[in-house]
Amino acid sequence: MSARDVLNQIKGKFDGTILRMDVPEDNRLFLYIRKDKIRDLVRYVFRDLDARYVISIGMDDRPHSGTFLVAHNFAFDKDHVLLSLLVNLPAEYPKIDTISDIVPGANWAEREMRDLVGIEAVGCPNMKRLVLPDGWPENCHPLRKDVPWNFVPPEYDENKEYPFDEAPKGCVAVPFGPFHPTLDEPEHFRLFVEGEIVRGCEYRGFMVHRGIEKLADSVLTYNEIPMLAERICGICGCVHSVVYAQAVEQAAAIKATERAEFIRTIMLEIERLHSHLLWCGLASHILGFDTLFMQSFRIREPLMWIAEKITGNRKTYSLCLIGGVRWDITPDLSRDLRGVLDGIEKEWIRVADAVKGDKNVQKRTRGVGVADKKLVKEAALLGPIARASGVAIDARHDHPYAAYDKVEFDVVVEDGCDVWSRLMVRVREVFQSIRIIRQCLEKMPEGPIQLKLTDELPAGRFGMSSIEAPRGESHHYVVTGENNRPRRWRVRAPTYQNLQGVPAMIKDQQLADMTISLGSIDPCFSCTDRMEVVDIRTGKMKIYSQEELRKLVRNSEAGRP
Amino acid sequence: MNHTLTTILLAVVNLALVLALSPLIEGIMRKITARVQSRQGPPIRQPYYDLLKLLGKEDIESGETPLMQRFAAYLSLATILSVALLVPMGGRVPLQSGGDSILLIYLLTLCGISSLVAALAAGSTYSLVGMSREMMAMMTLEPLLAVAIVVGAIHTGSLRLDDVLGGSLYGAGAFPWAGLIMLGVLVFSLQAFVGRVPFDTAEAETEIMEGPMIEYSGPKLALFKYARMAKLFVYCALFVALFAPWGNALVYPLSLVIFLAKVFGVVLLVTLIAATHARYRIDQVVRYYAGLFALSLVALVFAVNGL
Repeated sequence: MSARDVLNQIKGKFDGTILRMDVPEDNRLFLYIRKDKIRDLVRYVFRDLDARYVISIGMDDRPHSGTFLVAHNFAFDKDHVLLSLLVNLPAEYPKIDTISDIVPGANWAEREMRDLVGIEAVGCPNMKRLVLPDGWPENCHPLRKDVPWNFVPPEYDENKEYPFDEAPKGCVAVPFGPFHPTLDEPEHFRLFVEGEIVRGCEYRGFMVHRGIEKLADSVLTYNEIPMLAERICGICGCVHSVVYAQAVEQAAAIKATERAEFIRTIMLEIERLHSHLLWCGLASHILGFDTLFMQSFRIREPLMWIAEKITGNRKTYSLCLIGGVRWDITPDLSRDLRGVLDGIEKEWIRVADAVKGDKNVQKRTRGVGVADKKLVKEAALLGPIARASGVAIDARHDHPYAAYDKVEFDVVVEDGCDVWSRLMVRVREVFQSIRIIRQCLEKMPEGPIQLKLTDELPAGRFGMSSIEAPRGESHHYVVTGENNRPRRWRVRAPTYQNLQGVPAMIKDQQLADMTISLGSIDPCFSCTDRMEVVDIRTGKMKIYSQEELRKLVRNSEAGRP
Repeated sequence: MNHTLTTILLAVVNLALVLALSPLIEGIMRKITARVQSRQGPPIRQPYYDLLKLLGKEDIESGETPLMQRFAAYLSLATILSVALLVPMGGRVPLQSGGDSILLIYLLTLCGISSLVAALAAGSTYSLVGMSREMMAMMTLEPLLAVAIVVGAIHTGSLRLDDVLGGSLYGAGAFPWAGLIMLGVLVFSLQAFVGRVPFDTAEAETEIMEGPMIEYSGPKLALFKYARMAKLFVYCALFVALFAPWGNALVYPLSLVIFLAKVFGVVLLVTLIAATHARYRIDQVVRYYAGLFALSLVALVFAVNGL
C-alpha cells in the first residue's frame, strides 16, 4: 500500500473532510482536515487502519496563514507510509478537540502544545503543566512567533511549586529524583509506594529545557542546526542531526549523495553499537552486576576510538549537513573499522552466551517491567521496548532512509514483554549492526560526500522523517521558512513516548524493580527535555539563591563573543 | 594470674588484628574485583586512606535524631569488636570465661540492629525502606547461624565457646551429616551476613541510595565503613572457627599464619561470588533464606540423633 492507497482509503470514508492534500513522495502524505472531524479521522486511522501514533505538533503560523496549525502524525509501518493530519485553527480561537482519550500516548504532546504554543486540547483528561517551569506565567507561550527567543516574563514567580497529586490512601510518596544514582539527569518521579509495592507514580521532568526548537526557528540557519541537533542527546546525537537533515531534504526535495548516505548509515550504526553496549553496562550496574558493567565498557571503548579517528570526536560527530556529510571514510579508516568490528564481535559472542545462561540476571529481569502489546499500541512505545513485546517495528526496515534499503539485516524480535526480552533484543541487535556496517563498507560507492547547494531552499514546505535511534524511532518534523532557517522544527525523541509507558510498567511492582524497569527503556531525558546541565566551576564554597544562579548564567552568556 | 595475662594479651591481639587487617582485606577484595572486571583497581592500601580521609572530615550532625545517629555509629563498630573477642584467631577464644555461645549470637544480632537504629535516626524515606529490608533479612537470616552454633552445642553438650568453635559441628561419631549440611548452608549465606552482592538489598546503592547510610558523612560514616570491613573479617574468622578450626593448637605465630590464610580463602570466595552476581530483590532474598533455614532444620534433626 502506498501513500495514494492510504489516501484513497481515507477519502472513501471521509470525502468532505479533506480540505487539501499533498503527496510529495510515495511514502509521505499530508492531509488538511476540517477541524470538527479530527476526532473521527484520528479514531479511524488509529483504530480501524491500525496506524501507529507518532507525535502531535503545534505551530504558530499566524505570520503566514493567519492561523495556528496542529499536525497529528501517524505511521503505517507495514506500508512504509508516514501520514500527517493537519488542522488550521483560527488565530483568535486556538482550540482543538483532544485525541488523548482515543490515543493515550498523545497526552504529553497535547500538554506540550498547550505549554509552548498555547493551543488548547479541549477535553483532555490530564492537562497539568508538562514542559514550562513551575513559576512560568499561564499566558506566555514561548514558541509563539511574537515571543522573542530570549524573553523572560516579568511575572516569573520562582517560589511557585508544582502541584503534585496526593498519594493514594495507604501509600507513601517516595521521591525518586531529581537526583538519584541511576538517573544521569535531573528528573523527578514521585512514587506512591505501599510497603515495597509501587502503586502509581507521577512524573515531573523537563527541568532544564534549553529551548532548542526556539533557537532553530529564530537564530540559527539550516546548516547550523545539525550541530545543535546533535547536542540534543549525549548518546544518540548523530541520530538527531541526520533525521533533521533528512526532514529538510524531504521538504526541499533534495537527495543527499549516495556515498554520504552510506557514511550516515555507518555512523548511525556505530552509534547504535556504542549505545547498546553502554546500556548493557548501565543496566547491569542497576542490577548490582558490576562485572558486566565494566566488561561492556571495556568492549565499547575501541568504538569510541574509531569514531574519534573518523570524525575527530568520540561522541559528538558533527557529521551531517543538508545534502551530505562532513567526514569521509578513507580506505585506511575502513580497514581500522573492520578490525574494531571483528574484535567486538568476538567478545560480544562470549558476553551474549554468558548472559543468556545467567539464571541470576534472569531472576531479576523476567516478568519485570511488563509492557504488553496493548500498552505498546496505546502509549505508542518504540524501539527495543516494542520489539521485546513482539511488535516488529523498526524504522530502518519500515521507513528506509540513508542506505538501509541497500543492506540486509534482521529486525530482532522477542516476545517476553519484560526487561529480560529488552536485554536480549539489544544484545542481539549488536550483531545486526556489525553486519550492516560490514555490508556498507563493501558496497559504498565512490563519489562526493556533499551536494553543492546554491539555491535557497523553498519556504513553506513540510518535511518529516523517522530514524531508528538506539532507543526507538526518532521523528523530526520540519516546516521550511525564510531567512535560511525553518519556521518550525519539532523533535520527537523515542524516550518522549517510552517514558509515558513507564507508569504502567512499574505499577504493582516491587520498589526494587523500579530502577531497572525505568532503565530498560534506556531513558534519555535530555532528548525529551532537550536540555543541558550548566556546570558552574567555583573555587569557594557559597550557597547560591536561585536569583543569583540565574544572574551568574546570564552574565556568562553576555560575556561570550 | 598467668591466665588473666594471656586473656588480656589475646584480646589485644584479636582487636589489633581486626582493626589493622580488615581495611587490608577490603583492599585485596577490591583489587581482585577490579581484576575480574578487567580494571586496574585502586591500590590495596586505599581503604586505609578512605577511612583516614573520612575521619578527618567535619563531624556534621544530620538526620532526624542526630544523637541516635551518633550512637548507632559507635554501636556498630563497638559490637563487631566485641564479637572479635569471642572468636578464636589463631589461638583460643580470648574472653571465653566472659560469655558463651548465646552471647555471641546476641552480639551478632546487635550488629544488624545498629544499622536499624541508624536508619531510624536518619528518618529519610530511603533509609526506612532500607530498614524494613534489613529487618526482613535479619529475621530470616540470623537463625541460620544460631542453628550452626546449636548443632555444635548439641554435639559437645556445652555452650562454652571453646567447645563449640572448635570443629564440634562435625561431631565425634560417624559421618558428619549435620556438620556438612551446615557448612553448605553457611557457604551460601555468608555473603548475606557480610552484606555483599547479591545480598546487599538493604543498602542497594542503585535502588535506595545506600538505605540506612543515606544521612551519614565524615567520621560517623568512617565508623560504619570500618565496622563493615571488620564484619567481613570477623564473620570469615567465625566461619573458619566453625568449619575449619584445625591448626589453632600449633605454636602461636604459625597458627596465626594458618588462620589468616584460611580467612583469606573465605574472603576470596566472598569476592568472587560478589563479582559474578546481580543483586537479588528482597522477596527473592527472603525466599532463599527460608530454603536454607529448612535445610538447617534437617541438620538439627541429624545433630539430635548424634550424626
